[in-house]
Amino acid sequence: MLKIENLTKTYGDKKAVDDLSLHIQRGEIYGFIGHNGAGKTTTLKSVAGILNFDEGEIYIDGTSVKTAPVDSKKKLAYIPDNPDLYDFMSGIKYLNFIADIFGVSAAERQEKIRKYADIFELTSDLAQPISSYSHGMKQKLAIISAWIHSPRLIIMDEPFVGLDPKAAFKLKEMMREHCDSGGAIFFSTHVLEVAEKLCDKVAIIKQGKLIKSGTMEEVKGDESLEEVFLELEAE
Amino acid sequence: MTEVFRSYFYNAKKKQMRSKGNMILMFALFVFLIVGVLGGTFTFVALGICGGLTAAGAGWLYFSIMSGIAIALGAFGSIFNTYSSLYLPKDNDLLLSMPIPVKTIIISRLLNVYLLGTMYSAVVMIPTLVIYWLTAGATVANVICGIILFIIVTLLVLMLSCLLGWVVAKISLKLKNKSFITVIISLAFIGGYYYLYFKAQDLIRDLVTNASEYGTNIKASAYILYLFGRIGEGDIIATAIFTAATALLLALTIFILSRSFLKLATASGDTKKALYREKAVKQKTAFGALLRKEIARFTSSPNYMLNCGLGILLLPAMGIFLLVKSDVILTIGEVINIAPNCDALIVCAMLMMVSTMNDMATPSVSLEGRSVWIPQSLPVEAKTVLWAKTAVQLILTEIPMLIAAVCCAIAVQGSITVKLLICIVPMIFALFMAMFDTFTGVKNPIMEWTTEIVPIKQGGAIAIALFGGWGFVAVFAIPYFLIGSAIGLPLYLTVWAVIYLLAAVLLYRWLNTKGAKTFSRL
Repeated sequence: MLKIENLTKTYGDKKAVDDLSLHIQRGEIYGFIGHNGAGKTTTLKSVAGILNFDEGEIYIDGTSVKTAPVDSKKKLAYIPDNPDLYDFMSGIKYLNFIADIFGVSAAERQEKIRKYADIFELTSDLAQPISSYSHGMKQKLAIISAWIHSPRLIIMDEPFVGLDPKAAFKLKEMMREHCDSGGAIFFSTHVLEVAEKLCDKVAIIKQGKLIKSGTMEEVKGDESLEEVFLELEAE
Repeated sequence: MTEVFRSYFYNAKKKQMRSKGNMILMFALFVFLIVGVLGGTFTFVALGICGGLTAAGAGWLYFSIMSGIAIALGAFGSIFNTYSSLYLPKDNDLLLSMPIPVKTIIISRLLNVYLLGTMYSAVVMIPTLVIYWLTAGATVANVICGIILFIIVTLLVLMLSCLLGWVVAKISLKLKNKSFITVIISLAFIGGYYYLYFKAQDLIRDLVTNASEYGTNIKASAYILYLFGRIGEGDIIATAIFTAATALLLALTIFILSRSFLKLATASGDTKKALYREKAVKQKTAFGALLRKEIARFTSSPNYMLNCGLGILLLPAMGIFLLVKSDVILTIGEVINIAPNCDALIVCAMLMMVSTMNDMATPSVSLEGRSVWIPQSLPVEAKTVLWAKTAVQLILTEIPMLIAAVCCAIAVQGSITVKLLICIVPMIFALFMAMFDTFTGVKNPIMEWTTEIVPIKQGGAIAIALFGGWGFVAVFAIPYFLIGSAIGLPLYLTVWAVIYLLAAVLLYRWLNTKGAKTFSRL
């Protein structure tokens, strides 16, 4: 589903991501953890096609992000850590905008909006301008806009930040459901307990380099993910 | 303040400081426009009335008139800037959450407002003072008092624009379709402002001619105006009175603003919550969705509409005016009779000039701001996003341009060929300008801003688009006076149609390639 090969991205003198390789299969929830400034957001943005990278390749379901950016973006959805949406639009107008870009039919989008807006209890606020939304509401709207076009790969940068416990629980359910039906999710988080319970596989990045990756059992063994992470950070 | 002039020091696209040469060029252009163009205009006004009034012993009237113009220009020119700078900055919540007194936040915001208002009033007041000193003779008293008068005027501008900004903020909270209503109210203000401006010219002429009589009447009925004008003449007592009064008013203004600022800056409005009702929607194409989004962005902001879309109204207004008052065109032709069909050329140039008031494509790139990740992450090519931005300006300019051009073509005396070309050339020019404006927006983006007034009014891109447009019109019109007799208007207009089309093609190619690449890397 997602193949990252020797990804390298440099900002001036600093290598934000250094020769990173990662494979994510269908049906996997893949967690991506690391300290602040480790290179997680750079990696996610490179996969989403927002950031040009210096070396390496990224393939989404066999489509190169470099040579066929539009085709690769059709297969994915990206949710940033800070969902700066179009404040001048209402929630429903934003969802319809995204649906139009992805070519979602009127009937299908209506059904999905109804479903996901109900899940996140956002239905009554859809007619309100996004400028009046709280951070959590914007996050929910961004999540709905990602699910509305049934992407194969969903990339999320700290998706649980700002979500209330109920919404966070619902999101986890949606993530599992998405992967069980053949999709994949690649997301970063600082909440290691969530990663430990939710992820099938995890990758730990430190100063731009991938230091450990694999199934949850392979990475953490008998310890907790937190203990493993802190040990690796200390090295 | 750093944000206002940031683009002069910092190249946001290259994420580095501008070279010294670049900075000097930017500031030189800025000085030329403000000092040269605007300052020059008011220098002529001051020269026209100073001599007559001072000779009649009514130098105070001269200062009252010019100070009044400075205050009107400064205050009305910056209402929306004041409103945006005080109540709409994105960092209001952040600053209010910090242990910073509200008064301190207001004062820092007011410094920005003060600086811009001072700029507007300085283009009037500096020529006013200098011409008076040269005409009536400079003394220690009138120089010092003149400088104090300038400071008082700038503070009055600040207070008046704060008051008006406060009114706009209050109204905005209550209105439902606030963008359009704000625009309508603003246009009414602008219309009234220009009506008074044109009437004021006749009034000023009359005042100069009958200075003694008017002076006596004003002294009797509005002594405060007389006293105010006396500051410029070097009256110490008048200076002291107004300095004290201004200081008191300023303190009061800051006090009142402090009381209402918190409520207004954090209020979400008293309008009723819109109820969501599921309804059938029509699926649009990706381009259609992008176009609709750009139009929604444009119509969501009174600042955006007023600063970048006045051509939408002025073009048809101009066309209808010239159709009804076609004798104006005849008069132009009689006055400027340098080459054949000069009137038709000037009408063409006027259509093009007014169309440059529509430059909504220019700030549209910068207005993506922190939401630029959305178009960058969507499965649409960057060039499609740019085309949607260009298309908005095209649609909103070409439709009114067509109305205006047809009206002008009917009104102008000339052959069918000339009438056709009057319709075609401005429309091709509008096409070229839509692409040029998108080009300037992509080349000079400001992606980090806390108030939208920065990309809409204060960026380098918008200055290039506006003054570039005027420059293009000048380059179009002026050569005709030299070679028009030789080649005739039809050929001249045809050549320019081809030039603008070629230029549009080049810009089209740039936007499709380098422009798209640049946008995708923002």
